[in-house]
Amino acid sequence: MTADSIELEIFKHLFAAIPEEMGVLLKRSAYSPNIKERRDYSCAIFDAAGQMIAQAAHIPVHLGAMPLSVQQALAEVDLQPGDVVILNDPYRGGTHLPDITLISPVFIGDALFGFAANRAHHADVGGMAPGSMPIARELVQEGLIIPPVKLMSGGQIQQGIWDIILANVRTPVERAGDLHAQLAANRRGVSRMEELAARYGVPTLNHHSAALLDYTERLTRALLQDRPDGRYEFEDQLDDDGISPDPLHIRVAITISGDSASVDFTGTAPQAQGSVNAVYAITLSAVYYVFRSLLSLDVPNNSGCLRPIQIIAPEGTLVNARRPAPVAGGNVETSQRITDVLLGALAQAAPDRIPAASQGTMNNILIGGWDPGRNAPFTYYETLAGGMGARPGLRGESAIHTHMTNTLNTPVEALEFAYPFEVVRYEIRRGTGGAGQFPGGEGLQRDLRLNVLATASLLTDRRISRPYGLAGGEPGAPGQNILIREGIESPLPAKGSVDLQPDDILSIRTPGGGGWGSKVPE
Amino acid sequence: MPSLRIGVDTGGTFTDFVVFDPATGEFSTFKLPSTPHDPAEAILAGLSRIGGTGRAIIHGSTVATNALLERKGAKTALITTAGFTDVLEIGRQNRPSLYDFFTSRPTPLVPAALRFGLHERVSHTGDIHTPLDLAELDALLPHFSASAIESIAVCFLFSFTHPDHEQLVAERLRAAGYFVSVSHEILPEFREYERTSATVINAAVSPVMGRYLAHLESALPQDNLQIMGSNGGSISPAEARVQAARCILSGPAGGAVGAQAVGRAAGVDQLITFDMGGTSTDVSLIDGTLHTTHEAEIGGLPIRIPVIDIHTIGAGGGSIATVDPGGVLRVGPHSAGADPGPACYGRGDQPTVTDANLVLGRLLPDRFLDGQMPLDATRARAALQPLAEQLDLSVEATALGIIRIANAHMTRALQVISVERGRDPRQFTLLSFGGAGSLHATDLARALAIPRILIPPQAATLSALGMLMADIVRDYSRTVMLPGATPFAELKTHFSPLLSTAAQNLTSYGLNSSQQSLHATLDLRYRGQSYELNIPFTPDFLSAFHLAHQSEFGYANTTAELEVVNLRVRAIGAVASPAFPRLEPYTQAAQPFAHHPVCFENGVIATPFYEGAALAPGHAVSGPAIIIKPDTTILLNRGDFAAVDSLGNLMIEVTP
Repeated sequence: MTADSIELEIFKHLFAAIPEEMGVLLKRSAYSPNIKERRDYSCAIFDAAGQMIAQAAHIPVHLGAMPLSVQQALAEVDLQPGDVVILNDPYRGGTHLPDITLISPVFIGDALFGFAANRAHHADVGGMAPGSMPIARELVQEGLIIPPVKLMSGGQIQQGIWDIILANVRTPVERAGDLHAQLAANRRGVSRMEELAARYGVPTLNHHSAALLDYTERLTRALLQDRPDGRYEFEDQLDDDGISPDPLHIRVAITISGDSASVDFTGTAPQAQGSVNAVYAITLSAVYYVFRSLLSLDVPNNSGCLRPIQIIAPEGTLVNARRPAPVAGGNVETSQRITDVLLGALAQAAPDRIPAASQGTMNNILIGGWDPGRNAPFTYYETLAGGMGARPGLRGESAIHTHMTNTLNTPVEALEFAYPFEVVRYEIRRGTGGAGQFPGGEGLQRDLRLNVLATASLLTDRRISRPYGLAGGEPGAPGQNILIREGIESPLPAKGSVDLQPDDILSIRTPGGGGWGSKVPE
Repeated sequence: MPSLRIGVDTGGTFTDFVVFDPATGEFSTFKLPSTPHDPAEAILAGLSRIGGTGRAIIHGSTVATNALLERKGAKTALITTAGFTDVLEIGRQNRPSLYDFFTSRPTPLVPAALRFGLHERVSHTGDIHTPLDLAELDALLPHFSASAIESIAVCFLFSFTHPDHEQLVAERLRAAGYFVSVSHEILPEFREYERTSATVINAAVSPVMGRYLAHLESALPQDNLQIMGSNGGSISPAEARVQAARCILSGPAGGAVGAQAVGRAAGVDQLITFDMGGTSTDVSLIDGTLHTTHEAEIGGLPIRIPVIDIHTIGAGGGSIATVDPGGVLRVGPHSAGADPGPACYGRGDQPTVTDANLVLGRLLPDRFLDGQMPLDATRARAALQPLAEQLDLSVEATALGIIRIANAHMTRALQVISVERGRDPRQFTLLSFGGAGSLHATDLARALAIPRILIPPQAATLSALGMLMADIVRDYSRTVMLPGATPFAELKTHFSPLLSTAAQNLTSYGLNSSQQSLHATLDLRYRGQSYELNIPFTPDFLSAFHLAHQSEFGYANTTAELEVVNLRVRAIGAVASPAFPRLEPYTQAAQPFAHHPVCFENGVIATPFYEGAALAPGHAVSGPAIIIKPDTTILLNRGDFAAVDSLGNLMIEVTP
């Protein structure tokens, strides 16, 4: 170690600056509120083998998954300087269709040096419902499927690919603006990597990127070593898949042995008919997220974190679905429950470090229709925060996004300028956090009143099952989806579509977090 | 006889005074220890030492800032549209830290029990959907008095389209004797969370500021007091009392104005400012103009009122070095602060950046802070020793490592404000001020290929100088959300209330029309976007927008529909800015007062030390060398070349 102990810290900063700068550029130049205002995107850089060297802290569900995108591009495409690969196919390097990934190889001379990549959630990529997250029965219904292909070749946009993409989406002007922003972000990443190579030379950079991966691996191993050996099991469930009413179980057994661990999802339910299937990349992201969160904050975010961890995710199950299963909700709902079971298991090995269950859903709401005022179609997508699980020694935060997402809300005042509906209530649901020595955070309620005919798709969970408490804490309250028509409340399913009329109120009430510790009687 | 003009900057440790005497054309500066229990004490002591009457005093105060950061503001209630009382707590629903289960957001300034909803609703088009019933408000009044409320923030949805409801509520509450902060007066712009946050911050800090200013004004009846704002201009105490939120980041804003002034005088208008202190470092970029941002946060709370765009990182001379469990040397994020301070201050034992500089021979122990604080080199070495053992390196190599890592943090901060925003550092001059920075400036300039460094003679009191030089600046805005195709003449009529308010305000300062200028701009975007570009309001603003979009983001869409989001007016009342005096050129060649061994990356060199005070215009010093000034120490590496210009600025040419 010695001199490398200093160099590593320096190169950590040099590498980390690149995806951060890419992210700033992407956010600034993106067209759609979903990327700009909600910040639903991620950026990272990779070595020549597709190992992630550095990522900017954006959206956790993207990040464990991005190396698989890069590796898929590497395996399937004959990469040349000036190429940019685009993909969203969940079974070929993607996760769910709205997340479009752009991958740019970086060549120094003739040799492949690494990659810059970014992934952004597009508000619509076609398919059977606005927003491209319908309750579908097969992938092809969910939207346009883009396998790894060149969007740019030798620095030139492939007009045919470009035109096909824009012809298959509902809001092509927005999509084009966002894709341009994604291209610009990668261009910036590539030139920064070229500058580093010119300044330090490829061998030095490779040496330090490998050392940084080793370093993160070392810290992860130290973390595992500190925890008692053993097999820690946990099981939880999704309410349903939007088609059949049956709950779907996710089971995990984490075995810690010395400085390594295995994470085994054997016993998890088979893949479902509806859109809650997670591809392997999602499961990998959740595992990455959970172990990364146990490390200290400024440990470099790279692939080294996963090296001491073996993941067993049987094919054809909810956590490693096979084509043509629909997957829209795997990314946004199932990912949260995978996180919940991982944390539930780890709480047995690290009771002082693990929070009770947070809301465990992203409460995805998509509303689409025709706006007669503007004489134009509209598509609205939003995820809603809920209660955070209480932490050992600390209550859970209320109305906050947890675990696999961190997107911002759309301001009420921005929304009413843009869409033909209004928000009539946006409040914290008091009393929904699980009781405990440290209570869980509260969920929230957001009520939308429609001015026009529209269709809403709901992709939500924890409407039946409740976010668990830990160490004797009570579970949080489940969420509710309610339609209020002429003053009468009627429940809506956790997942499904509903036709809305003018003056209808769609009331989404999100779950509270679990409590931690037994409540001390007063 | 023209009266004195005085800039006064209250800092954590010192209160700085810069005095300009128009009769002689001379500047003088001094510092007094700050008096945190009553900041006015140090100010009044300094002003009485200066003497004279009818003085123009421009004061940058931390009273509002500290009230906010220490949560010692007025007891405040919040009134919102019913159904939206929790907007303040929900915020933007995101968490501050992604991979931290233990992350928490700042507690809202007003707790849930003191947030009240009134049934009322105005639409985004300004129509009243639900009329306000003041009886609901009256029912709350007993509750306010029972809770000992002093200040009340009022923020209704879409009040910027139709402020009547907020006005009615404000009138009633003001009549009942409360301080009232109303959202359409503070920030009439869309995005309810940020507007509420700014309104609440203002409600909490204004009464505190009001008491402070009343005390100060009563003690200075003969003088003309102005208060420094966060936007780089000053405002009257009367305005500062009711809109204290506009003054929260005034110290750094003064620094930026001061930097611009000394840069201009030296003929340099493309500046990157670098102010490294004990616990934090401020950087900003000035490309001919000072930029303001609407995205500032203080203590984790958004303020959205225009403030000078300054990027702050929590690293400085007091940042502590550690070896982490993975065997890697780290600098920060923890700081030894001013107390106990770096190990060499003689109180603590934590190894810091300052200790590393001392171990490397770059600081003279008996010359720190003009000799007022002797440093303990043995203690610094002892503090670094355990790190060196863990790393299996010499103490000197460890110290060099600490400096390199600290510089990596600083480099990153400088990149954020330059390359990340599309600016090429090679086109800029690095202006270094603040005590700790000048030991690092040449290394940083080299890392970013910045060719030149400017260290002004006023480095230690640049904020106070900036306050003295600051114009009167007030910003006005309103969200309108109109189609880009709105005729120019119609937009003009939308501007006219803003323009007349702004002009009236400037006139109330006693400024004649030649001193007044109003700058009208539009925030524009393509319809469907959520980020605006600020474009001057001229008849061809549409084409100007497309051009700006092309240059900022690399594409433009000339067929797409535009949206006029906000109207903005900046009112500037120009004050005569004094010229800096020229200094006499040198009469004797510069001579080092000593040679000491200094450790550089490539070894120990017997390095000449120069007395900064003895350097006069025309003098030049080649690196390696160290220049000692009362408030800072400057490191020149081999190949660096420093020369003194006729204003006393040290201009350093940095070898790449």
